[in-house]
Formats: sequence, structure tokens, C-alpha cells
Amino acid sequence: MPKPPNRPALATALRLGAYLAFAAILLVFALAAPGFLTLGNWLNVLQQSAILGLLAFGLTIVVIGGGGNVVTGGIDLSVAANLGLAAAVYASLVKHGYPDALAAAATLSAGLAVGALNAVAVTALGIVPLLATLAVAKIVSGLEFVLTQNSVVTATSPFLAWLSDNGPLAVPVMAYVLVLVTLIAWPAVQATPWGLRLQAVGAHREAARAAGLPVKTYVAGSYLVSGVFGALAGILSAAYLTGSSPGSADILLSVVVAALLGVVFSPRLTPSIGGAASAVLFIGLLNNGFQLVNISSYWVSGVEGALILFVVACTPSQREAMS
Amino acid sequence: MTNAPALALRDIRKAFGGVQALDGATLVVERGSVHGLVGQNGAGKSTLIKILAGIHHADSGVIEVDGVRQTMLTPARCDQLGVHFIHQDRLLAPSLTVAEALLLGHEPRWSGTPFINRRRLEAQAQAAIRCAFDIALPPRALVRDLSNAEQQIVQITRALLHRPKILVFDEPTTALVRREADFLFATIRRLRADGLTVLYISHYLNEIRDLCDAVTVIRNGRDVARVDARATPTSQLVSLMIDRAVDQLFPARQAAFGAKGLEVDKLSLAGQFEDVSFGVCKGEILGVTGLVGSGAKALARALFGLERPTSGEIRVKGEAQRLNSPRDAVAAGVALVPEDRRRHGVALGLSVRENATLAALNRFRRFGLLAASREKAAVNGLISRLSIRTPDAETPVRALSGGNQQKVALAKWLIHGSQVIVLDEPTVGVDVGAKVEIYREIAALAAGGAAIVLVSSDLMEIQGLADRALVFFRGAVVADIARSELESDRLLTFVTTGHDSREPHAKAAE
Repeated sequence: MPKPPNRPALATALRLGAYLAFAAILLVFALAAPGFLTLGNWLNVLQQSAILGLLAFGLTIVVIGGGGNVVTGGIDLSVAANLGLAAAVYASLVKHGYPDALAAAATLSAGLAVGALNAVAVTALGIVPLLATLAVAKIVSGLEFVLTQNSVVTATSPFLAWLSDNGPLAVPVMAYVLVLVTLIAWPAVQATPWGLRLQAVGAHREAARAAGLPVKTYVAGSYLVSGVFGALAGILSAAYLTGSSPGSADILLSVVVAALLGVVFSPRLTPSIGGAASAVLFIGLLNNGFQLVNISSYWVSGVEGALILFVVACTPSQREAMS
Repeated sequence: MTNAPALALRDIRKAFGGVQALDGATLVVERGSVHGLVGQNGAGKSTLIKILAGIHHADSGVIEVDGVRQTMLTPARCDQLGVHFIHQDRLLAPSLTVAEALLLGHEPRWSGTPFINRRRLEAQAQAAIRCAFDIALPPRALVRDLSNAEQQIVQITRALLHRPKILVFDEPTTALVRREADFLFATIRRLRADGLTVLYISHYLNEIRDLCDAVTVIRNGRDVARVDARATPTSQLVSLMIDRAVDQLFPARQAAFGAKGLEVDKLSLAGQFEDVSFGVCKGEILGVTGLVGSGAKALARALFGLERPTSGEIRVKGEAQRLNSPRDAVAAGVALVPEDRRRHGVALGLSVRENATLAALNRFRRFGLLAASREKAAVNGLISRLSIRTPDAETPVRALSGGNQQKVALAKWLIHGSQVIVLDEPTVGVDVGAKVEIYREIAALAAGGAAIVLVSSDLMEIQGLADRALVFFRGAVVADIARSELESDRLLTFVTTGHDSREPHAKAAE
């Protein structure tokens, strides 16, 4: 009997298209904005992308472990709220005179707790991640409001000052942070047994169970990791904004775009750290280019929305979920 | 090692909510043999295998592995005992490479680091596949890009890496083409030569004859025979599988047919079936049967516009139709009562009345609103005609039993007045009483002038109800049998071997 048409050719075309689109946009901005291709500008982009990058890595790990089905698969909508709470915790403690080390420990614990809450809701209570993490997001942003009374908390400390400054070779410290975290997360997810098994759990849960993997432990672990990434991003945010301010939720859509767009930048058309890193860079450069050519940054939001539609429409795993 | 059989399940009983799935079934598999297990759909094969796998627990009976009695079988315990299962559906993560899927959970690392040693991983995978199948499968290929047979190879190799003592194959060739299946058989023979014990479950009786040493036949939850697989003719296996004591479930049929209601001419559907032609008259019931994947079910979907044929023609009442969607099919007068009624046949949250008139709301419309009284009268008429057991017409379908839900699905098309009705496994999972009523209704539909296509894997149903039967085998129609020639033995032989039991054994070596 004849076999139905195969997908590898389509997959290659999709990836090639993504890279070509990336290159085309670079070319347009390079021609339109003289300052775009300078080293200083790119370091600036890296600095500004650090927060988005950390959150996108966390979300990517959740999507890897939960599977790519947009409706029932893994997703963490609490990352942005977690960022807000983490920044508020850090800023509040510093403002009340506690040392950086204690503030950092408390912030990381808060992030871990948010991750644990997600993990319990998804694995123990069996709630669809889309809803579970949305509910947790609401709880977490409520906590942030309780803590800050929905106002700006200004905070300065030696560590925050160092983070927001330039490091060696006049490169921003946050750019170093983004590169360093990428260099750790990439091999940790793509080259360890843990990462491979997480991918197996997300790609075919029954198969992973049949292979003897503790499926729920892996899924729960992915939410804990995402929680920690949210806390780290919160500390960067506290440094970048010298304190915490309401409105962290605005970044959520960008994080989702980065994680989803990462799929088309990955060789297997599955979520990956490398893909997410490329997507973060892509979004950062897009933002930056729009600013340089003096187009309102509000347009970026529309472009991001369009990218979500495009990616979800094109990637095979998400299409299957709908039919 | 003892002389005890590798595997013995004795006098296993298991009931599911009043239905006795297994009623004292015994299965004994000798060490180092390939043992076949056959039986019709619903005979209890899969329940027996699930009990062996520790997925279900027997109500009573004894299970022994290597002569040791096992009281509490779980999937993990099976693993320890060396009993491994190759399921029909391939359990492999599609986005992993061959090497990753094979060694998942046992990945080699660079010593002293937490990182996977990909070179070793791929070398080990390649060696394992070469050792088991003597072929080279690219270790970096993604599972989703492999053919069905290649995925099956990965799955079997994975099981072999655990050094199993007993391998259980559950319908392994359903998704394989002939060449791929032959390859699998060669492997199973080599595994037997290496001393492995194999339990082989299949609907394909010629596979059993070619491959197995002994075979156990299950019927109505009981083992009815344990015979030499090579010395026993297929015809004897067939007659063992068939239950002679079928009640008089079926209504009388009379052959008074009208003009052609449905004609299908050289219809092909990529990957499913090729070159299928037949006609059904008004008043006629055409039975269509075949194993899973044979194309019978795909035909039902194509007739209702759910699949787009690659070539060929469908004519309804003499007019050629392009059925690109169910909407087209309904407009042309074709109705489908699908197998999975919960998902496709009825809307569980809606009432009996709403479900029944869903497909024909236009007929009950007045000034753009529903003419409630006419609608109600029509529905109540149907409820009594089909004897749908429901408190009233407003009861949600969710609250009804399976058989009554199926009757509601039928009622939907009765009200609509469809000319061609395709029934896909209309009695799966309904009790005998409801079956009889559904059969009577199908016969009444035909008597009312509808052309009926009855797709069913229940051969008794085909034999009892159909005026003619088509048998699909691996994507082709291998038989078109008139009612007078319909015998269950012959039908089952066609279904399971693709050949006629009346022909001499000439084709045995094909």
C-alpha cells in the first residue's frame, strides 16, 4: 500500500524560511538604520534581552516536558507574574536594609515555591497546564500587589548596581549573564540524559512510561526549573529598573513568542534552548531595529502576535493536536 | 531450569461489570517455542494479554512464569520476570532519533560528566539493530521519519536490549506491508533459534501457520483448542473460532431490491485501498468487512466525504458526486452512523429530541423558528418505533445506555430521510438486546428503500444481515459474496488469509 506523504522536506523548508526571514530582517534594518550593525548596539540588545531570555528558557523547558500540544501540552503562563513577584521580593528586602545574599536566597525560594505550586496543580491535581498556570499567575501577581501595594519600590544595592553596569571589556554584565546562562542551559537540556528523557516525556508520554521513566517527576521538575528561571529574571529586573514596578505581565506574550518561535529555529522542529536563544535574539533585534528607524514600539506587539499565529499554524506537532 | 512451561495461564476468569470476558481460559506456552493465540474480535484475547501484562487483574486463575506462581503481576514485575510486550501501536517518541529512542533510560555518558556520549550512543544503537535484524538503520534518523516497519524494528530491538525470556507480540503486522512482515517473521524465527519464547497474537491465520509451533484458539472467553500450528489446516482453525450457537438475532431478509442507490467505480484512497468497485440497490444491505487496516473502515469514511479519494467515482442514485466533506455527503443523501458514537455520532449534552432532529432542522422550520410541535411529534414517533429507552424526549443522551445512544444516532438519519446509509460497526459495545433492535431497524431501513452499507468486523452480523458481502484484505477487495454463499467459515477464511477456503491449497506458498 502506498505511504502517505512524508514531512522532512516540509520541515526543512520551514526552518530555512525562518532563517531567511531572520536574515532578511537584519538586512533591512542594516540598510535603514546606520547604527544597527555596530557592536555596541548588539551588546545593548543582549543586555535588554537577558530578562526575556531567562523566562523563555524556563518556558521552553516546560514545553519540552509537557509536549507541544497548544491546548493540553506544557505551558507556564505564570512566568511573567513570577518575574514581578521576584523583583518585588528582592527590592523590598533590599529597601528594608537586608543584604543582597539574603534577598537573593529569598527571591530564589519564592521562585521555587511558584514552580512547586505549578507542579502540584499540574501533576498532582491533574489540571490542564494552560489553566493551572494561569490561576497560579493570578495568585502570584496578587501576592506581588500585597507586597508592594501596587506601587514602585525603589531599591539600590551594590549587587544590583554591579548587575546593571558594564563588566569587563565594557560589555554589560547582563549580556554576560544571558550568554553564560545560555551556555549552561543549552548542554544541560540538549546533551544530558535528563534533557533527553524530558524530551521523551513530552513527545510521547505513554512511550516514556513504558520505558520506565517517572513521567510526573520530570514534568514537575520542569515547572520547578521554570520557577527558578523566573526568580533569576526577577533579580535582573530589579537591577535594570533599580527596584520593582508593577506591569511585569506585559512581557508574557513576548516569552510565549520566543518559546514557540524557538521551535522553527530548531533542527527537529521541537522546542529547544538553542532555538529559544535564537528567537530571543530575533525579537530583541526586531525591537531594537524598530526603535532605531523610529517606528513606534507598539507595532512590535502586533508583529509578535502575528508570529504566534504563524508558528502555531506551521509546526506539525501543534497541527496534529487540532485534527 | 525446570521443565515447566515458560508461561502458563490456567483457568483465568475475568468479568467487566457483569460481562464475562474470560470464562476459564487456559494458555500454556512451551519454552523456546513460538505460540500462536487466535480468536475472533471479542473472544477475550486482549483481556488475557492485559492480565498477563499486569494491566488487568484476573478474578480467579493461576499465572505461572517458568513454573513459578505469580500472585501480583504488575508491568514492573513483568519487566523483572523478563516478559516483554510489542504492542500494535508503536510506543516511541516521534522527535527522538533512532539511537535515543533505543537507549532511552540507559544512555551512555562521557565518564565523569553528566553529558551523553553521542558517539557511543549511536554506535551501541547501530550494533544492537545489526545484531537483532542484521540491517543498518541510520541511528540519527528521527523516529517520525521512519516507516512503520522501521519503527517496529526499533521497538523490538529495544525490547531485546532488556534480554527478555518471553516476548509477546500483539498484532504486530497490522500496519506492515508484506515485505516488512516477512522481515519480522525472519527475525522471530531467529529469536526462537536463540532460545527465546514467543507468544504471537494475530488475526492473520496464514501467519500463524507459517510462523508458530502451536496455537491456542479462544472462543467466548474460553480456550477451545490447543493444536499443532503447522499440521492444522486453516479451515479447522476457522471452524474452531466460530461460535455455532448464535441465537436467532437476525430479522428475516427478503430480496426485493429497487434501482441502484449507490455505485462506486474504481475508487482508490492513498494508503488505504485501491480500485474498489461495487453497487448497492435500494433495499439492499451490503456488508463490508476486513481486519483493522484492510481498508473497510476507510471506505466508510470516503463514502461520507471524510477522506478524499485519489481516483474513482461515487454515484448516488445514478448521479456522480464529489464528496469532499460530510456536508456534500449529507446533501447527496448519504448518511453515516459512525463507530465512535460518543465522539462523532451523538452530542452527549443535547437531548434525545435535539440529537434526533439535528441533521434535519430545516424540515421543522417555520418563519425561521423551530416548529416545536411537529418536531416533538416526529421524535416521539421515532422513540417508540426504535424503542429507545429514555424517560422522555428531553433527557440528555449522556444518560442513556450505549445501545440506546446508538439508536438515537440512527434516528438522526431516519428523520433526515437519507437514501444511502453507511453504518460503521453499529453494534460495538452494545448489549444483545439492543443489538437485536438495531438489527431490526437496519432491516426496516432497507425495506423502506434505503441502500445500506454495513461496515462491520463482526462476521455473524455480516452473515446474518447482509444481502451481499465485500471482504477487504490489505487494501483490496478479495471477495464479493452473495447471501446464498455467505458462510461464516468462508467469510472468516477470506478475512484472515485473503483467500477462498473453497480453493485448493495451491496458494499456500504464496
